Amino acid sequence: MALRSLNLPGVGTKYEFETDKGDIVAIFFTKSGSIQMYTLQKGCRTPSAAELTPVEARRLGNILTGAIIEADQESVEVAFSALADLRITIHTYLVPESIAGKTIEDLRIRAKTGATVIAVCRKDRNNINPPPSFVFEAGDAVLVIGETDQLKLFEHEIMVA
Amino acid sequence: MEGIVLALFVCLVLALLSKYLSVPAIPFYILAGVVLGKAGLGLVTSSDISSYIADMGLIFLLFFMGLGIRIDRIAANRAAVLMSGIIDLNVNMLIGFAAAYLLGFSLEESLVIAAAFYISSTAMAVTSLVENRKLMMRESETIVWLMVFEDLVLIIVLALVTAGDQNLIVFAAKILFVLAILYALAHYGKEFLISILDRNDELPIIFTFAAVLITASFAMYLGIPDTLMVIALGAAFATTDPDAFEQHARPFKDVFLVIFFVFFGVTIDLSGGLNWYVIGVICGLAVASKLISGLLTGICIHGSALSGLEIWANTISRGEFSIALAVLYGSPPVAAAIAAMVIVTSIIGAFIAKYATHLRHGIVHLGRRSGPPRRANIRL
Repeated sequence: MALRSLNLPGVGTKYEFETDKGDIVAIFFTKSGSIQMYTLQKGCRTPSAAELTPVEARRLGNILTGAIIEADQESVEVAFSALADLRITIHTYLVPESIAGKTIEDLRIRAKTGATVIAVCRKDRNNINPPPSFVFEAGDAVLVIGETDQLKLFEHEIMVA
Repeated sequence: MEGIVLALFVCLVLALLSKYLSVPAIPFYILAGVVLGKAGLGLVTSSDISSYIADMGLIFLLFFMGLGIRIDRIAANRAAVLMSGIIDLNVNMLIGFAAAYLLGFSLEESLVIAAAFYISSTAMAVTSLVENRKLMMRESETIVWLMVFEDLVLIIVLALVTAGDQNLIVFAAKILFVLAILYALAHYGKEFLISILDRNDELPIIFTFAAVLITASFAMYLGIPDTLMVIALGAAFATTDPDAFEQHARPFKDVFLVIFFVFFGVTIDLSGGLNWYVIGVICGLAVASKLISGLLTGICIHGSALSGLEIWANTISRGEFSIALAVLYGSPPVAAAIAAMVIVTSIIGAFIAKYATHLRHGIVHLGRRSGPPRRANIRL
């Protein structure tokens, strides 16, 4: 795996990356702001290309870090290198029918998983820091913060149960 | 004033059309100018205001080019820049010069035509690489560095042409004096410049505009070419925060340059009659000579003539710099010939670049069909 970056005058910055299997992925951040991604399979001569907006590129990045489980659920991991490499993940989930009508307190989210619900988005309105008495409805998008393990627990204990 | 408004409106429509068809807009601006101006309907005539704005377009174009010149990066890529650059320079300058001279242009005119004939359009090459998704090709790196080399040659041409009728020592001393001021400003004032550029108010944009115009006026006051000095200003500013300068200078460049192209078209004088023979020969050779230099570069650098084809496809278009040379030094017949060359090569170039991959596949296919002996010669 070798990554090389290169500045092309007038065009932008290129990052090229060869995988262990010999495929090549190249990313260009062009001056116009768009991002072009090329992939070239080993032994193949013509690459295929995709042009992305910055938002699309970030979304793709999130997928590649392995954080996204479903298309409308995404997560961001933040690492604080000054705090002994503390890693905090923020993840969104969609509330299923099974927990609709229950409150945060009923579900004992904090006690069971250690993760915290920091916001709930319902029909384009955001409730930041919902109180323990907050009642979930099916279709709510919840934003949960915690360590990766705590979020896994949250996913298995609360979302699926 | 109405002339400028009419010209701008026509250009706006043409710009929309050219984006929709994804072909370069420059040839259409020039054609619009020819149709609206002296040689055509006579609806638009150039005035003091239009020529002032057109001058600013040229100055901002050259400032932008200067911003792209990073001496440290060029030095780090010397080998790549030099090899392809020298092939391109020799082949195209020689063919361009010989053709112009044999067609009956004077020595001086032939030199201007040769330079305009040689220099490809950086803007069109880069757009073609990005829009046709060719950035990953190894040839694209060669093409990009080729454009940088051509920019450097243009600077030398500008210096040589303007130095011709002056006392060389005084001329060089003046240039060195201004260069020293510019680099001292960029070096010692770097933090100040960056602090200005970081602001969110109108200051960065006023500063950029003023710096370019002041440099140009100061150069004219000293009697040295403003074109050279704004390039030097760009190169000096490139050592601070070139991206910010590009962002602030872009609106001026984009608008003024449209006026520059359209009024170049307006002032074209065809009263001497159009010599279709001359225009046909120059346009044909302009496409052919880049093919020769492209093939040679492809063979020398990538070991493949097919690579050369790809280089050719993206460097056929002549554009902004050829027009700049025509405006600065061209007599009416020279300007008309260069205008025709830019229009023809940029349109042909856009189409060839779009279908270069098919061309390449077609040639490989033919090569395979014609049997094993030739197959050995073709490497991708």
